[in-house]
Amino acid sequence: MASEVRKVPQYCYQCVAGPDLLTVKVENGVATEVEPNFAAAEVHPGAGKCCVKAYGLIQKTYSPNRLSAPMKRTNPNKGRHEDPGFVPISWDEAFDIIGAKMTEIRSRGPRNAEGYPRAAASFGGGGIPTYYMGTFPAFLSAWGPVDFSFGSGQGVSCTHSEHLYGELWHRAFTVCPDTPSCNYVLSFGANIEASGGVVAAWRHGAARERGMKRIQFEPHLSVTGAASAEWVPIKPKTDAAFLFSLVHVLLHEMPREALDIQFLKHHTGSPYLIGPNGFYLRDPETKKPLLWDLTRRAAVAYDTPGSDPALDGSFTIDALEIGADGQEWQHRGLNCETGFGKLVTRIKAYTPDWAEKTCDIKSGTVRRIAAEYVEYAQVGATVVIDGETLPYRPVSIQFGRTVNNGWGAYECCWARTLLACLIGGLEVPGGTLGTTVRLNRPATTRQASVKINEDGFMYFPMNPTDKEHWKPSPAVRNAHATMVPLSANSPWSTALGPTHFSWMFQKDSPENWPRVTPPDIWFCYRTNPSISFWDTKEIVKRIAEFPFIVAFAYSHDETNHMADVLLPECTDIESTQLIRIGGSKFIEQFWDHEGFALRQPAVKPQGDTKDFTEIATELAVRAGLLEQYNEAINRGATGVSLSSGKYDFALDPKERHDVDTIWDHSCRAASAELTEGRDSDGLDWYKQHGLRTRPISRLSWYLFPEMKKQGIRFEMPFQERLYRVGLELGNRLHERGIKWWDVQLEEYGGLPTVMDFPGIWEKETVRQAGAGALKDYPFWLLTSRSMQYAWGSNVGIQLMDEVADNMRGHKGVVINTQKARELGIEAGDLLEVHSYVGTTQGPAVLSQGIRPDTLLMMGQFDHWATPYAKDMKAPSMNSLIPMSMALTDSTGSSADLVRAGVRKLGAGK
Amino acid sequence: MTRYIMTADLRRCIGCQTCTAACRQTNATPPGVQWRSVLDIESGEFPDVRRSFVPVGCQHCGDPPCMHVCPTTATYQRDDGLVEVDYEKCIGCGYCAVACPYQARHITHRVEFAYGEPMASESARFDARRMSVATKCTFCMDRVDAAKESGLTPGVDPEVTPACVNSCIAGVLAFGDREDPQSNVSQLLDETQHFRMHEELGTDPGFYYIWDKK
Repeated sequence: MASEVRKVPQYCYQCVAGPDLLTVKVENGVATEVEPNFAAAEVHPGAGKCCVKAYGLIQKTYSPNRLSAPMKRTNPNKGRHEDPGFVPISWDEAFDIIGAKMTEIRSRGPRNAEGYPRAAASFGGGGIPTYYMGTFPAFLSAWGPVDFSFGSGQGVSCTHSEHLYGELWHRAFTVCPDTPSCNYVLSFGANIEASGGVVAAWRHGAARERGMKRIQFEPHLSVTGAASAEWVPIKPKTDAAFLFSLVHVLLHEMPREALDIQFLKHHTGSPYLIGPNGFYLRDPETKKPLLWDLTRRAAVAYDTPGSDPALDGSFTIDALEIGADGQEWQHRGLNCETGFGKLVTRIKAYTPDWAEKTCDIKSGTVRRIAAEYVEYAQVGATVVIDGETLPYRPVSIQFGRTVNNGWGAYECCWARTLLACLIGGLEVPGGTLGTTVRLNRPATTRQASVKINEDGFMYFPMNPTDKEHWKPSPAVRNAHATMVPLSANSPWSTALGPTHFSWMFQKDSPENWPRVTPPDIWFCYRTNPSISFWDTKEIVKRIAEFPFIVAFAYSHDETNHMADVLLPECTDIESTQLIRIGGSKFIEQFWDHEGFALRQPAVKPQGDTKDFTEIATELAVRAGLLEQYNEAINRGATGVSLSSGKYDFALDPKERHDVDTIWDHSCRAASAELTEGRDSDGLDWYKQHGLRTRPISRLSWYLFPEMKKQGIRFEMPFQERLYRVGLELGNRLHERGIKWWDVQLEEYGGLPTVMDFPGIWEKETVRQAGAGALKDYPFWLLTSRSMQYAWGSNVGIQLMDEVADNMRGHKGVVINTQKARELGIEAGDLLEVHSYVGTTQGPAVLSQGIRPDTLLMMGQFDHWATPYAKDMKAPSMNSLIPMSMALTDSTGSSADLVRAGVRKLGAGK
Repeated sequence: MTRYIMTADLRRCIGCQTCTAACRQTNATPPGVQWRSVLDIESGEFPDVRRSFVPVGCQHCGDPPCMHVCPTTATYQRDDGLVEVDYEKCIGCGYCAVACPYQARHITHRVEFAYGEPMASESARFDARRMSVATKCTFCMDRVDAAKESGLTPGVDPEVTPACVNSCIAGVLAFGDREDPQSNVSQLLDETQHFRMHEELGTDPGFYYIWDKK
C-alpha cells in the first residue's frame, strides 16, 4: 500500500508549564507518532522539545474508552452509587435538551434568589482547558454572570500564596529563578524538574552542567532533590522558620555591609518611618510617608530628591499617622524608628539554634547556607543587557506546593521576597523573578501593569474593605471579593478565592452568612473535583445536588457520573485553536520571542465528536446569544483581538460563522498584531508553519528597570497596606456579627511572625479526633508532582501509566525503610492509610529518601468510574484531607497536608 | 571506520521518561516492552541518600555477548557498530536475553495492545515478525541508514537521529560517531569524565555515562 506520511505542527498545553511545540506524524490518515517541532528550536527556550505527556496524545485519540457520541442521563437520581443510565443520543437531541434548559433558566434572570449566578462553570487548573475549549469563553462571556468558584483544586491546591503576594510585591503570579544566569538556588519543595515543563528541564539541566548549585529542602527526596547538589530533609511546614532564621543570620550575624544597602534604601520601603499604631508616619500636608534624610537630618517625604535615607536608628519627628477606616493620629515630638529597624528587632528571636529545634536542621547548616547565599549574590556586581546596566545577583529562592499554600505560606513568601531585597536580587538578572500577571491588568506584560500608588509602592487592585465599598453580599459562592481583598477582581480572581467554600457552604453555611445554593446549570470540562479536590466523598455528595450538569466529556469519569448530558468534543489533535506563546508566562516560560502557535486537526475526529468551537457556536445560537458571542470573539475571546487601530478582521456579529472562518480571522489578527498590521496570514499559513514569532528584549524578564523608571519601591519589609485592609475587613465582618474569620484576620500585620504552623494541623486533628489522636495519626502525609501526570487529565492513558511506573512511588505509599521495618512492613505490603476524614489503600514503597515521620502519595488515583484508572488500585490522599475552616488561612487557602496513621492489611504479592 | 555510540549526561537526567515514551511510540513496541528506559536508583541510608536516574537499553557493544551466544547468527554486528537482530533468522531461544548483562532484550510471545483490542495507531504499526523473537534498541537503525542517502549527520540532524535523543528534554542524550574526533560525541567525551556500564566484562559498550566535567 502506498504510504502517505505527513508531519502536522501542533501545540500541547496539558500543563501550565507549556505550551510545548510538536509535530504529529500521520501515516495514511492515522496518527502514529509525536515528535518535537524541530523547526521551533531556534525560538523555543527548550529546544522545541515536548514533554512526556505529549506522547500520550496518540493513545488518547484512539482509546476505545473515549465517548464517541453525546449521551443523556436516564436515571434522575444522582450519586456515586447510582447508575446514571447514560444512553447515546444525537447532537440535535443533546442541543435540544440543553437549549430548553438554558432558555428556561435565562427566563428567570441571571441570578437566583440568594443572588448567586444561576450558571456555574468549572475547568481544570491553571487555565489549561481554555486552550482546548475553542470559543467557549466567548459563550460564557455572552451568557452574563457565571460562577467559577466551584474549584477542582485551584485556589487551594496551587501555589496560592505566591500568586497573591507575588503579584502584590513584584507582579509575580508565579515566581522562579532567572535560571539561565542564576548560580545558587534554595528550593523549598519546588519540584521544578517535574512541574516546570520542558523549558525548566532544559534550562536547569544546562545550569547544573555549568555549575549552578541547588539545595532542595523537602521532607522526601523528590526528582528535583535527586537532581540537586544537596537534599535537606526539613520537617513539614517549618519552611518559614528556616527562612526567618536565614534572615536572622543576615541581619544579626553578618556585617551590615554584606547587604545591598543602596537597594534597601532607595528601592524598598525599608527607610519608611513607622508610628506607634503600626502605620506609616506621614507628612501632615501631602500625606506622603516619611523617611529620615541623613543629609538634611530631617524627616522628608519618601520621594524627596537627593535624600539619603536612614536605614535604621531612632528619630524624633512631628507626623501624621493614618489608620484603618480613616482614623488619624497627629503626633508631636514622636520618637520613632524605620520599618527596617522594626524588622531587625522582630527577627532577633529566630536564631539558627531556634531553627534547629523547629525544622530539624542543624544550626550550622543554617549559617553555612546563609553565608553561601550572600557570597553567591555578588552584591555590587552588574551586567549589561540590551545596553542597560543592571544589578546582577545570581541567587534565588523557589517554593513548591504545601510550602506555598495554607498557614505558613504567607510568611514563606514574605521571607523569600525580603531575602531577595536584602541582597538586591529581586527582579534583576540572575535573581528572583516573577513571570506572569493574572490579577493585575493589563495582562499583556508584567511591565504594563506597573503603576505607582500614593505611597510610592505598586498599585494593587485590592477588593475594597472600606465601609462604603465593601461587598457584604458575595457575587459568587466562594465570596472571594468579600473575604479576600488580595484576590483582586480580574477574571482569574474567583479561582483565587477559597474555592472549597463553595462546596463547604453548600452543606453548611456559617453563622450570619447568606445561604449557598447549587447552580441551576453547571458546565464542566477537563476537571474532576470528585477525585482532585479534598474530602472527595463530600464533594461527590455536593455535585449530586446540582440539578443540571453539562459535561464536555472525553470519557466517563467520577464527576460527569452526575451529569445530565455528556458532550464529547474532538480532542487535542482533532480540532483547531490558536495559543499565545513566548513572552513571559507561567513558571519558567520566559522567552526571547513571542508569538502564536496553532493546534489543528491532524486526523479526522473519532466517532461522532465535534470541534469545541462548533459546540460553543451552537450553544450560543440555542441560548439566543449569537450576536453577543460573536462580539466577545471580536473583543479577543480567542486570545487575540480581531480588530485594533492597525487592522480589522472582525466577524459580522449577526452571522453564524464556521470553525475555520473564526480561526482564520483570529490567525489574521495574530499575524497583524505581530507585524504592526503589515501581514495578515491566516489559518492556512499557520497550518503549514505551526507558529509565528518575533524577538523581544530580554529586559522584559526583569521588573526592576520599570520600577526604577517610575520611581517605585518594592513594598518590603513592612506591610502597612495589608495591616490596614485586615483591620478594615475585621471591622466590616464584626459589624455583621461574623466572628468565624477572626483567626484568619490575625494574619494581617505589619511584620509577620512564625507561629507553630505544624501545630495548627495537629491541634485540628486533636479537635476532630479527640485527645491522644496524634498517636493514632503519627505521620505527616504529603504529595509530590509527577511530570507524567501533573495537570494532564491523562490518568486513563496506558502509556503514561507504564512509563510513570519506572519512577518510584506513583501508585503506592512511600514510607521510610527503617520506619517500615519497625512497623513490620515490607515492600509491596498492602497498607491502609487513614486520617480522621477517611481511609485509602495502596502498596508500601520503602525508601531511604523520606523522613521517618512522613508518608508520601504521588498520584491521587482512587478512581471508581474513569476507565483504565479505576483498575489501578492506587491510593489517594485527597480522600483523607479535610475541608476545614480552621485549616484555611487569610488568603482562603490551605495545603495538601494531613496527619495520618498506617496499618498493614496484608503481605505483598 | 564508523562507530556509532550514545552518551548520557547523568548530571542532567531527571527521569522524566520522555525518551522511554518516544521510543515506545517510534518503534511501535507493545505495552511493557521498553527498548529505552530510565532507572530510578536510590543509594545510602536516611538522611545521607542519593537518588540517580540512569538511561538504559542496548549498549551496542563492540564485543557483544548476545551475538556470541546466538545459535542462528540472527544477532549480528554492523560495520558502523550497531548490533541488530535479523527477525527472519531468530528462533526466540532467549540465549541472548540471558547473556546480555544489560537486560536489554525482550521476547514477546503474546500479542498485546494498550487497551486489549488494537487501536488504529497500533494496527497501522503492528509487525508480526516481532512475535517470539528477540527485540531490542536498534539505535533507530532505519534513520541511521537514511543518512547514507540523504547526506545528513546522525546525532546532528533530527531526521537521522534516534528518537530518544531527539525527544530528550534535558539535553541528557547525544548520538554520533566515536571514531570521528570532530563529532559531537567525541568532543563531549573529550571534555568530560565518563564511564561505561559493566565495562569490566569486556563488552566494549557503545554507551557512555558522563558524570562530571574534566
